[in-house]
Amino acid sequence: MTHHIEELKKLAISKLNLNSIGIIIFLLFLLIAIAAGIISPYNPWQRFEPYTRPNSSHFLGTNDMGNDILSELLFGARVSLIVGFGASIIATILGVTVGIVSGYYRGMMDEILMAITDIYLMIPRIPLIIILAALMRPNFWLIMLLIGFLWWPTTARVVRSSTMQIRDTSFILSAKSLGFSDKHIILSEILPNINHVIIPKFMLTIASAMFSEASISFLGLGDPTMKSWGMMLNFAFMKGGLINEMWWWYLPPGLCIVAVVFSLMLIGFSLEEKENIMLGLE
Amino acid sequence: MLLISVIVDCVSKSYSSGLFSKRYDKILSDISLEITKRKTVGLIGPSGVGKTTLAKIIMGLENPTSGKILIDGTDIWNAPSEERDTSLKKIKMVFQDSQGSLNPKKTIKQSLYDTVNLMGLDASTRESLVLELLDRVGLSSDIFCRYPHQISGGQNQRVALARILLVKPEYVILDEPTSALDIAVQAQILELLNNLQKENNFGYLLISHNIPLIDFMSDEIVVLDKGSIIFRGETKEFTEFNSLKNKNSFKV
Amino acid sequence: MEILEIQDLNVKFTTPIGEVYAVNNASFTLNTNETLALVGETGCGKSVIANTIMRLLPQNAEISGNIFYKGNNLLKISDREMEKTRQQEIAIIFQNPTLSLNPLYKIGDQISEPLFVHKKISKKEAFNKTTKLLKTMGFQNPSKSYEMYPHQLSGGMNQRVILSISLTLNPSIIIADEPTKGLDNELVKDIVEEFKTVNKINNSSLLLITHDLSLARELSDRIIIMYSGDIVEITKTESFFKNPLHPYSKILLNSLPERGFNPPKGNSPSMVNIPKGCKFHPRCPHKKKICSEKIPPIYSIDGGNVRCYLFQ
Repeated sequence: MTHHIEELKKLAISKLNLNSIGIIIFLLFLLIAIAAGIISPYNPWQRFEPYTRPNSSHFLGTNDMGNDILSELLFGARVSLIVGFGASIIATILGVTVGIVSGYYRGMMDEILMAITDIYLMIPRIPLIIILAALMRPNFWLIMLLIGFLWWPTTARVVRSSTMQIRDTSFILSAKSLGFSDKHIILSEILPNINHVIIPKFMLTIASAMFSEASISFLGLGDPTMKSWGMMLNFAFMKGGLINEMWWWYLPPGLCIVAVVFSLMLIGFSLEEKENIMLGLE
Repeated sequence: MLLISVIVDCVSKSYSSGLFSKRYDKILSDISLEITKRKTVGLIGPSGVGKTTLAKIIMGLENPTSGKILIDGTDIWNAPSEERDTSLKKIKMVFQDSQGSLNPKKTIKQSLYDTVNLMGLDASTRESLVLELLDRVGLSSDIFCRYPHQISGGQNQRVALARILLVKPEYVILDEPTSALDIAVQAQILELLNNLQKENNFGYLLISHNIPLIDFMSDEIVVLDKGSIIFRGETKEFTEFNSLKNKNSFKV
Repeated sequence: MEILEIQDLNVKFTTPIGEVYAVNNASFTLNTNETLALVGETGCGKSVIANTIMRLLPQNAEISGNIFYKGNNLLKISDREMEKTRQQEIAIIFQNPTLSLNPLYKIGDQISEPLFVHKKISKKEAFNKTTKLLKTMGFQNPSKSYEMYPHQLSGGMNQRVILSISLTLNPSIIIADEPTKGLDNELVKDIVEEFKTVNKINNSSLLLITHDLSLARELSDRIIIMYSGDIVEITKTESFFKNPLHPYSKILLNSLPERGFNPPKGNSPSMVNIPKGCKFHPRCPHKKKICSEKIPPIYSIDGGNVRCYLFQ
């Protein structure tokens, strides 16, 4: 038992380190996205000689249109992060609302909301987006909304079960019996007590949304006017970057996606883990 | 009929086992009792017998399957919602799990101020009122910045009582108010409860499985077993009833 | 004859809010075939003593002193030996019987598991042993009870099952940590009966840790009173209830229901802000100047031991 706890603690410490690595990587990308206009050498739409190899004026060479790949990459961080955050904010707001309402009120409301959630969970999400994107004109905001509206059910489930856990505790009952309104109870008593499940879930949803955006864009169904990392990959693939072994073209956006998703996963999982360990230690 | 009291009239409660199921589990059947001011009614019975369910029904947190709850003459399940709300404001509850009855993520100060804000008072009266009540329940303001898990069970129960005093009820339901406390602290809380009753003319419904405690605190005692009342009478009569009864018949 | 001897035990925790002295200079002995009750309020350090004996304390605990069990110092032996001791010599029962059992296994299997694992006896023999044990623990139809799952039994029955599990390997010492906390009166009565049965069928000693004085009165031969990390009194149970020595023992007894719930003045100190000298002096009606300066030693007085200058 002593050893068990000791191991848990070591685990907690190592998880915390992972957490800080995740935060550093993530902040770096956030900085790039914010400062893209300042740090990038050229406007990503500016044309130079196409298909140049990396050289002193173009560190990562140029693409088929003659755009500077490094500049594209830096501006791409902006697009990808906005999609990720935007979609995740939508998904989290929806999921938390549905989860708390059905977990707190229970009864008929719960049955209906959970039935809807189950139906949503059954939908194959990527194929649906592909079909919708193919039917409508692919648009950056549309894709963000679509991902947001399709990624909420898992959040709703987790939030619902945590809400149910605390809705019958005496402090909620005593708040009810003191005459607090449902709104006060939900916002001020329940929400702060389930934050610890919402925040990691939010992080993981960002990662998942970014990844999905990249997949959709890679398939050529993304917004062609927005240079996201997924779109860059798509062009590198379509315009012969891969066949001609122009690694400076297709590797950097891929690595960036992996790095950001990885950092978000690290943050999300270590937050989750930290919570579990805290529970285990009590 | 006396109009200044809480009357529980033939209350029954059944739960259906599922949304579409026809099976019903009867938790309470034909419970009648009356809580009057300045008096304590003791409700005793083994655990799982529906004592807490009854309390929730009286509080308006759950609806009875049949029967009536009258608070100062208002039938709370058949009154217009405004009248119902004013009636329900007269009755408050203290819970067993003293630590759990405060939000773990809020300081004691926040918990108390939330309750005052509910009353709609301005900042200066708010502060003096809270300090006065803390003093009344025997706490000092240095616990203000602590969280519920950082103070003892007895102190938590005192904070819970202070919160109840803030909303000025007329009747208080005490659901095992001391069962999680050490005996020395229990005696202190019981003394506090008795003093508060004298000062505020509270009518108490004291729920417990602790016979000596009920015996000590109550004017009238109701014994619940398997969802129905098997004894109702004054404390003296209860002592006879209890000594007559074989202790085994109390078992679930 | 003494089976467990605790000498000068100190336990200190390092926590973010400061150092917590959970147990100070605790010394006592547990004799064979004796029930010793360790009584005190929440946070007085009584459960810490139990966990120290079992070596179950978290890593931030600093322990000094000796715990001798059959001549071995439990604080010095290797982890391997300690595991063996835990399994076969000293058993511990925690509060909340329903949570201590695995809901997915039959209770009979849970009882006989230690027999397979540690005694390596055959299945049939284990079954027989288990049903015999169940019978002595008051199960009417042991072979039927063997097949039942924890959720089919009441809290009291589950507590009996837990006791049976701890008895399978015939431990010399059973430590019960608040076995009645949160249970209602009827179940407490049941558990008192069980412990009495255990005492009859098994020659083990019982260290009963509780905040419930009436439970201690029912079961124990001797009683130890703890206050804020200090042992303040060790006496025979009978004389404790007739004539308590320490001023704290007196106020504790007066707050009992049968003595009219007399509320004591003041509160026990919190673990981080402990008064100097005798921990009880701020609440004590007999306090002298020396009480706030030096912790009193233990004085012996007709069979009892008490930590108070009144008995100098």
